[in-house]
Amino acid sequence: MQTRPILEVSGVTKRFGGVTAVNRCSLSLARGKIYGLIGPNGSGKTTLFNCITGLERRDEGEVRFKGGRIDGLKPHQVARRGIGRTFQIIRVFPELTALENLLVVTQGPFEAARRRAEELLRFVTLDRLQNEYAGNLSYGQQKLLEFVRVLMTDPELILLDEPAAGVNPTLLNELLAAITGLRDQGKTILIVEHDMKVVMGLSETIFVLDYGEKIAEGPPGVIQADARVIEAYFGR
Amino acid sequence: MNVVITPAMVGQVVISGLLAGALYSLVALGLALIFGVMRVINIAHGTILMLGAYTTFWSFHILGLNPYLSLLVSMPLMFLLGVLLQRTFVRRVVDAPELSSLLLTFGISIALVNMAQLAFTSDLRSVEFLTGAFLLGPFAFSKSRVISFAFAVTLSLFAFWFLQRTKLGKAIRATSQSREVAMVCGINVQRIHLYSFGIASALSAAGGSLVAVMVAIQPEMGQVYTFKSFLVIVLGGAGNYPGALLGGMLLGLVEQLSSLFLTTQVSEAVAYLLLVLVLLLRPTGLLGGRST
Repeated sequence: MQTRPILEVSGVTKRFGGVTAVNRCSLSLARGKIYGLIGPNGSGKTTLFNCITGLERRDEGEVRFKGGRIDGLKPHQVARRGIGRTFQIIRVFPELTALENLLVVTQGPFEAARRRAEELLRFVTLDRLQNEYAGNLSYGQQKLLEFVRVLMTDPELILLDEPAAGVNPTLLNELLAAITGLRDQGKTILIVEHDMKVVMGLSETIFVLDYGEKIAEGPPGVIQADARVIEAYFGR
Repeated sequence: MNVVITPAMVGQVVISGLLAGALYSLVALGLALIFGVMRVINIAHGTILMLGAYTTFWSFHILGLNPYLSLLVSMPLMFLLGVLLQRTFVRRVVDAPELSSLLLTFGISIALVNMAQLAFTSDLRSVEFLTGAFLLGPFAFSKSRVISFAFAVTLSLFAFWFLQRTKLGKAIRATSQSREVAMVCGINVQRIHLYSFGIASALSAAGGSLVAVMVAIQPEMGQVYTFKSFLVIVLGGAGNYPGALLGGMLLGLVEQLSSLFLTTQVSEAVAYLLLVLVLLLRPTGLLGGRST
């Protein structure tokens, strides 16, 4: 069973009224790899994320995580099975402290959670700001906080929605190092990203969406040369 | 009016204002909690206060239970009613436009008031328990008001501590700051909603039990508390929990101070004038509300 994909999205469709945001989309992610999900604005990347994490109910298709169906589960149930995500626009809890932002998501015993939270804050050098309200942190610091909040529950699959957007170059390097570090620990990562340098540099396999359909899949070199991808981005 | 206002009179109304304000804070904290977590204005909040007051009245009247001990009955009872209301009705309108939740809670309120009229009649009831006043220098403190104040302050601070320090409290605050994120972080938002409505109803019921010894109890007594609680959370900033505590004290003071200069009828209006002013000048509340 080692070859069983950790996440299988098969034929997922999501419509909003007359608009088909995601159209019969299928992805398969193997454990321990970094995947990229790209596509022009409005191509359905975030909607697909929402269908995986349970924030949107898919209209058709199946989502399996570690072999079990997760479409139809509530978001908190998906989260507890081991899928973590960040959002395109940072969403920390502004009126909780940095430390509380991490503690609030945990299930287990408090002392262990607190140790882990402090360790993660040290990891992203926010430990001295642990009692500061998250809303008072800088944009980059909030981004890091959201990132480590995902790690609090030790998810096996991590979905990152535009982690590089609006992050300064120094911070970006730290973030990229952290992402590859997680992969090396055996985590699976799916990244939506507009910065092509970032996504091409990180991902082993890239999926391309256009108008909700997957139009290409393959390693970065192949994707960059794919005629349909070029057409989707630049027009014919 | 040619009444001379002495410093002692001002002191007296300030004390009365604070004594009344603590109760407003307690009740409004519940309304703020429901609004903060679900973005629902619960018109039935004061109705639950009325049921809390009746719980105290009947347990005093039939069982001879000390009205302050009856908090131990009214709070859990109304917690359960709150959970039940949330589970059966309110959860259906959490994501709907505000008008739906206003109409629904308004409907719940009418239904409960009518049931109370059927069950208890509209007769004015009172719990005659502590009468008289403590005298301290030039000031007089009504005994029942002082004790209610102590209970209200203790319960409010306890609720506040609970929100700040406990895990459930933190999850409630996280949910009120961003429901979606709370969900993907593994927080069961539906359960948080149940607890929030239950806790809010228990706080309102506590307010009812505490006013039961001071005012006439009748099925429609709750409405004015809904309005005042609404005023308090507008003053303090919607969804801002410390703001609700402060807003309640402020409302108590404004009401009492204006009664010093104006007739009772006009001083009742002053509070609402304040509501209009705050909405015009500082719509996010005096402490600032939530940005979203």
